[in-house]
Amino acid sequence: MENLLQRTSLIQRAYWLIGLRWVAIVMLAGATFAAGELLGVSLPAAQLYGIAALLLAYNSVLYLLLRYWTWAGQEPSSGEVGGILTFQISADLLILATILHFSGGIENPFLFFFVFHMIIASILRPRWQSYLQATLAVLLFGGLVLLEAARVLPHYRLTGFAGHGLHTDRMFVLGFLSVFTVTLYLVVYMTTSISEQLRAHQEELENANEQLKEKDQVKNEYVLRVTHDIKGHLAAIESCLDVVANGMLGPLNEKQRDFVERAHRRTIKCMAFVMALLKLTRMKLSGRLEMERFSLRKCVFSSLASVQSRAREKSLVLHHQIDPAIDEVLGEAVLIEETITNMLFNAVKYTPDGGRVGLDVTRDGDFVQVRIADTGIGIPEEALPYIFQEFYRAENARAVERDGTGLGLAFAKQVVERHGGRIWVENNPGGGSTFTFTLPDHS
Amino acid sequence: MAQGKILIIDDDPDITEAMTVVLENRGYEVRRASDSAEGREQLEKAKPDLIILDVMMRTSQEGFELSRELKGNARYKDIPILMLTAVKQKTGLDFKAEAGDQAWLPVEEFLDKPVKPNVLLEKVEDLLSARGA
Repeated sequence: MENLLQRTSLIQRAYWLIGLRWVAIVMLAGATFAAGELLGVSLPAAQLYGIAALLLAYNSVLYLLLRYWTWAGQEPSSGEVGGILTFQISADLLILATILHFSGGIENPFLFFFVFHMIIASILRPRWQSYLQATLAVLLFGGLVLLEAARVLPHYRLTGFAGHGLHTDRMFVLGFLSVFTVTLYLVVYMTTSISEQLRAHQEELENANEQLKEKDQVKNEYVLRVTHDIKGHLAAIESCLDVVANGMLGPLNEKQRDFVERAHRRTIKCMAFVMALLKLTRMKLSGRLEMERFSLRKCVFSSLASVQSRAREKSLVLHHQIDPAIDEVLGEAVLIEETITNMLFNAVKYTPDGGRVGLDVTRDGDFVQVRIADTGIGIPEEALPYIFQEFYRAENARAVERDGTGLGLAFAKQVVERHGGRIWVENNPGGGSTFTFTLPDHS
Repeated sequence: MAQGKILIIDDDPDITEAMTVVLENRGYEVRRASDSAEGREQLEKAKPDLIILDVMMRTSQEGFELSRELKGNARYKDIPILMLTAVKQKTGLDFKAEAGDQAWLPVEEFLDKPVKPNVLLEKVEDLLSARGA
């Protein structure tokens, strides 16, 4: 995983370098034109344009190669991508030295561009390689200016820009070269120190994150195991109490019936909690969802139907509005229906008699939005950030129902997010709250 | 009073006891087994009209394995099986797709524990009347 991350970012960097080179080519041609035509500096323009053309061809080949390599399905290893980067940086140093040769050598201030290459090498490549690149740059540039000073190589003057004779002034050339050398090595030293620190830090974070995920997985498996065992015992308790409470073992006196019923009710509550926890944990541990196209419209109607009688008991107005253009979406129908039903049941539960619960389904860009609004008790401001957390229950919700599981909304969040959607809640200005979730609509 | 002989194969003695009371109350004759081997023995001796089979016994799949074995056997394949498992919900294993697949998991009905007495009686009645019809 970590290797993959590093490799991906190296490939991105290789593309990034190619991108920068397009800019450099334009700059080279532009600067040649500007210096020659606009500023009246004498330049061997033909050679410089030629280099720009060569660079263009080189960069295109590099781009296509990289494209082919990453497309052909053969995943280049991080070593291979690193090799490409090293090659690119070295080649760029050589090209820069060549350009400088044709454009004034030591007289050309573009020689500072060597510094960029040092920074790039120091960020992307190991420390020792960056020092080697600095050495290569010093050798190339030093060789160039020394050979020009010794008149072994011809010197192309930048007449109209710099004074003549600098390139043969021994004091100037040696002094310049010394500072140049020190600058490059210092740049590499500073940049690699920082980038190595950053890289180590990033690696630490990635490892820590990986460990957290593993621990979370272990925790979930543990919870699943414990919950499953508890469920087995609870099922037995409930079955036995069912038999007694239903009078199948003979009649009970009033006191006995009362106590059996108390135990029965608490067992059922506990079972509901265990089942909710089991469902949530299984959801967390399950791999991919089984996504298929299903009718969201049907799901919504079926959810509405399941809360209808409860809403009627409380004399609530239950209304809905569905965008007629929306029908099928991609997802796991059972889970989505359960989520909508849960949210509707919540709305009905926490809305006082005679209130209103509304559901609407609309389109919002690439998403379908399901919104459930009520005129209920609302959510205290301080509880809003925690409402989707496992086991969290707001004060006023406790007052309405003492033994809720505190898992319903956590499950809803899990379902929605696993589908690639989002879920949130707001309080309505006039009282009550609105829960909204989105599902990506791939149609 | 309802008629019929039911074999419960489940390793949880308390649940078995409770189901027995519920079923006997309704008039069914109940036989019990706590694992596959005992189950096979009882099948031979009692010739039940219906089997209530728990999935998780000694292994988490024991019930499935037994159901496949029975449905592959000409002598038993017509006895309806009511399986006790949480398949209707999202489980780690997903049996939903296979529920109707005769070759893979040939059982007639699923119920998750705990089974409410009225639900149990209803399903049992349905399965037995479908068989009788």
